[in-house]
Amino acid sequence: MEANSAPHSRSVQGLMMAAAIWGIVFVSVAFFFKWGMPELASNRGGLDSLYYVILGITGVAYIVVQLLLGFYIWKYSDRPGAEGVYWHDSHKMEVGWTVGTAAILIPIVMIGLRLWSGVFSPPPPNAVEVEVVGAQFQWDMRYPGPDGVFGRVRPELISLENLLGVDPDDPASADDFSLTNQLVLPVDRPVVLHLRSKDMQHSFFLPQHRVKQDLQPGMNIQTWFIPTELGEYEIACAELCGLGHYRMRGFLTVMEPDAFENWLVEQQQAAAGR
Amino acid sequence: MSDAHDHEPQSFISRYVFSFDHKTIGKQYLILAMTMAVVGGLLAMLIRLQLGWPGTQWPILGSIMPTGMASGVMTPEFYVSLFTMHGTIMVFFVLSLAPVSGFGNLLIPMQIGARDMAFPFLNMLSFWTVVPGAIIIIASFFVTGGAAAAGWTAYPPLSAVQSAIPGSQMGQTLWIIGMVFFIAAFTMGGLNFVVTILNLRTKGLSMMRLPLTTWAQFVVGILGLLSFPALTAGGILLLFDRHAGTSFFLPSGIYVADQLLPNQGGTPLLWQHLFWFLGHPEVYIIMLPAMGFCSDILATFSRRPIFGYRSMVYAITAIGTLSFLVWGHHMFISGMSPFLGSVFVTTTLAIAIPSAVKVFNWLSTLWGARIRFTTPMLFALAIVSLFVTGGLTGIFLGTNAVDIQLHDTYFVVAHFHFIMAGAGLFGALAASYYWFPKMYGRMMSEKLGKVHFWFTFLTYYGTFFPMHYLGISGMMRRIYDPNVYQYLQPLQPVNTFITICAFILGAAQIIFVINFFWSMFKGKKAEANPWESNTLEWSTPVPPGHGNWKGDLPTVYRWPYDYSKPGVKEDHVPQWTAPVGVEAKS
Repeated sequence: MEANSAPHSRSVQGLMMAAAIWGIVFVSVAFFFKWGMPELASNRGGLDSLYYVILGITGVAYIVVQLLLGFYIWKYSDRPGAEGVYWHDSHKMEVGWTVGTAAILIPIVMIGLRLWSGVFSPPPPNAVEVEVVGAQFQWDMRYPGPDGVFGRVRPELISLENLLGVDPDDPASADDFSLTNQLVLPVDRPVVLHLRSKDMQHSFFLPQHRVKQDLQPGMNIQTWFIPTELGEYEIACAELCGLGHYRMRGFLTVMEPDAFENWLVEQQQAAAGR
Repeated sequence: MSDAHDHEPQSFISRYVFSFDHKTIGKQYLILAMTMAVVGGLLAMLIRLQLGWPGTQWPILGSIMPTGMASGVMTPEFYVSLFTMHGTIMVFFVLSLAPVSGFGNLLIPMQIGARDMAFPFLNMLSFWTVVPGAIIIIASFFVTGGAAAAGWTAYPPLSAVQSAIPGSQMGQTLWIIGMVFFIAAFTMGGLNFVVTILNLRTKGLSMMRLPLTTWAQFVVGILGLLSFPALTAGGILLLFDRHAGTSFFLPSGIYVADQLLPNQGGTPLLWQHLFWFLGHPEVYIIMLPAMGFCSDILATFSRRPIFGYRSMVYAITAIGTLSFLVWGHHMFISGMSPFLGSVFVTTTLAIAIPSAVKVFNWLSTLWGARIRFTTPMLFALAIVSLFVTGGLTGIFLGTNAVDIQLHDTYFVVAHFHFIMAGAGLFGALAASYYWFPKMYGRMMSEKLGKVHFWFTFLTYYGTFFPMHYLGISGMMRRIYDPNVYQYLQPLQPVNTFITICAFILGAAQIIFVINFFWSMFKGKKAEANPWESNTLEWSTPVPPGHGNWKGDLPTVYRWPYDYSKPGVKEDHVPQWTAPVGVEAKS
């Protein structure tokens, strides 16, 4: 047919396409060396290891398959005297790439499941317990005080003075204290977060700690981890919760254990003085 | 053949408006999808404008959109409406309507040798049911509070409580009503697809001789029929929660806008299950037809049979079946039982296997080919590349342990724009260039097509690939201004780069629209089989009349991929050709 009677112009398109795909592979891979995960600050390094394993495997697959695609496009562009090959079936090859793909994926699933059950395993003893309450558009962190028990909460008591609706009639609530958008934790000690929401879905996200857990109204959801680095970190909301979702930001301070104990005492005294 | 199809020329209304002809209905769907794509695309441009230069004042836009961009600066609630409606319009009204309802209706009867769909009236009804849905969805921008603003996933309580966000007033109600119209229409379409393909195949056309495009549409019809009802049910329950005081998705103790809600007993997780039970098959409803187009176009312009036809059919079927068992991977960190999370990892990574098989088969189709680089072929080759990129990033997100960090970040946005949106968009574009002669009896301009392709392909990678870096660096989705966070501030140059690419990508689509409408009237007249293809639709007259074939329906003698067959003089043997050459002697 006429549209295809100029082999020269066809090969230019083929060359351009092959070059484009090869170029994309080169540039896209290069930037993975510039941008990566934020620096790790918790015990969840296993998740990073698996990330890098998958990055390696998929990276190789990406490069090989895309380069091959580019190569075929260049090599098999229509040229005078060329003949198409009619061969179109190979049971062996089909079985080969089915089994091959499965063989690569099964270890990923196994490692993933192991890490997953670690994240959701029961927290170690001696953990610090903090209740994290999400609301449009702030985080309230409640500490249970020396008795280690969170006072009862009754939503009908929520007011500007009692943001969390803590029941003053419950003796366990007397030594509780809470802070807005401030989470303070000791380094190298497990922490259990009790996550709940007052209104919408939210998601508690600590990028450097590899912690992300949704908050669901009506549910109490737990997650635990161990901060391993001192410092100041940002807490983000990762689930759309309203027009102020983007500014639902909190701060995490990770302290030396001694400093943390002193801070707890100060806060309790301040709370008792109110 | 039935005489009912051989009627005299009809009035304008019955011919172009309330037509029963599958080709007209297919074209109507395509024009509707194109219109909606313009709207959805403009929304994307506004989203990127905000992310490229957050908080900048654009006085001109302020005068066009006095509420959303009061004094020229975008409001956060308008931003949330923008990405909500961009997602809704693109996923349902563009990427489902164009490849499935548009090209499905156009092609199925012609590829199976039928005069029309099994239920032509239902087909017409289906189109005219989706139109009010589209109008309602667009109208929702103009009501008090603006358009829906709970994300395209419409998670409650945001979507259930009217005081939760301005868009949760009238906008969200209209969203649900618009979606119910869409689903009703899509369900009628799916039923028609399945019945037509099972019952109306012409003589000699067994299921294992169907082109892969029709195979994909067949599985898509089944997926739509089985998955969409879950969202219909969810949508109606949500409507009750919003307006009738029920508590399907609302537990006790919700405190919004200084008020304690009276609801009790529901759970928002129920919505997530209902939504994603549709939502995940929906991804394949968008992708499978594109994979079908890709296979058929690759074979035609490679002058090679598709490699592993049988395994391609198995892969399509396996993907369709597994797509019902993976919805929980959208909910790994939702608070759903972690044990369920483990189950969904396994099923999710299992779906990677048939997907990989498809890629290897496409590559093997190119091996030993004689590639003709037409515009549809370039788009089809691009689909392979995009699909590889998007498929591989799916392995990160499907592995629950890694998903903890990447969930709800731009990594996800990058992933689905490659795998789903990329396949759907490039599939629809490839199909438009390829089957344009079947629609209008003319060819689209190859020159403009190639310019369009190069801008689209390069800026598509430029727009969406860097989003992986944003996600890995921890940038969340759906945030109005990432610079609120200190750790995200160094990423601003990446966001600006993405925005510039997105603007070029958007502008390049104007070339396509011009080409489409110019070629409709002024394009080169098409021959009956301009691409020298084998599938049955190329045996109809140009352009095909109502009933598709004059006289008897064609008989099929072979599968659709006899390209470069040894012992035959021509380099392609169409399905309607009786045994020739060596075949005839044996």
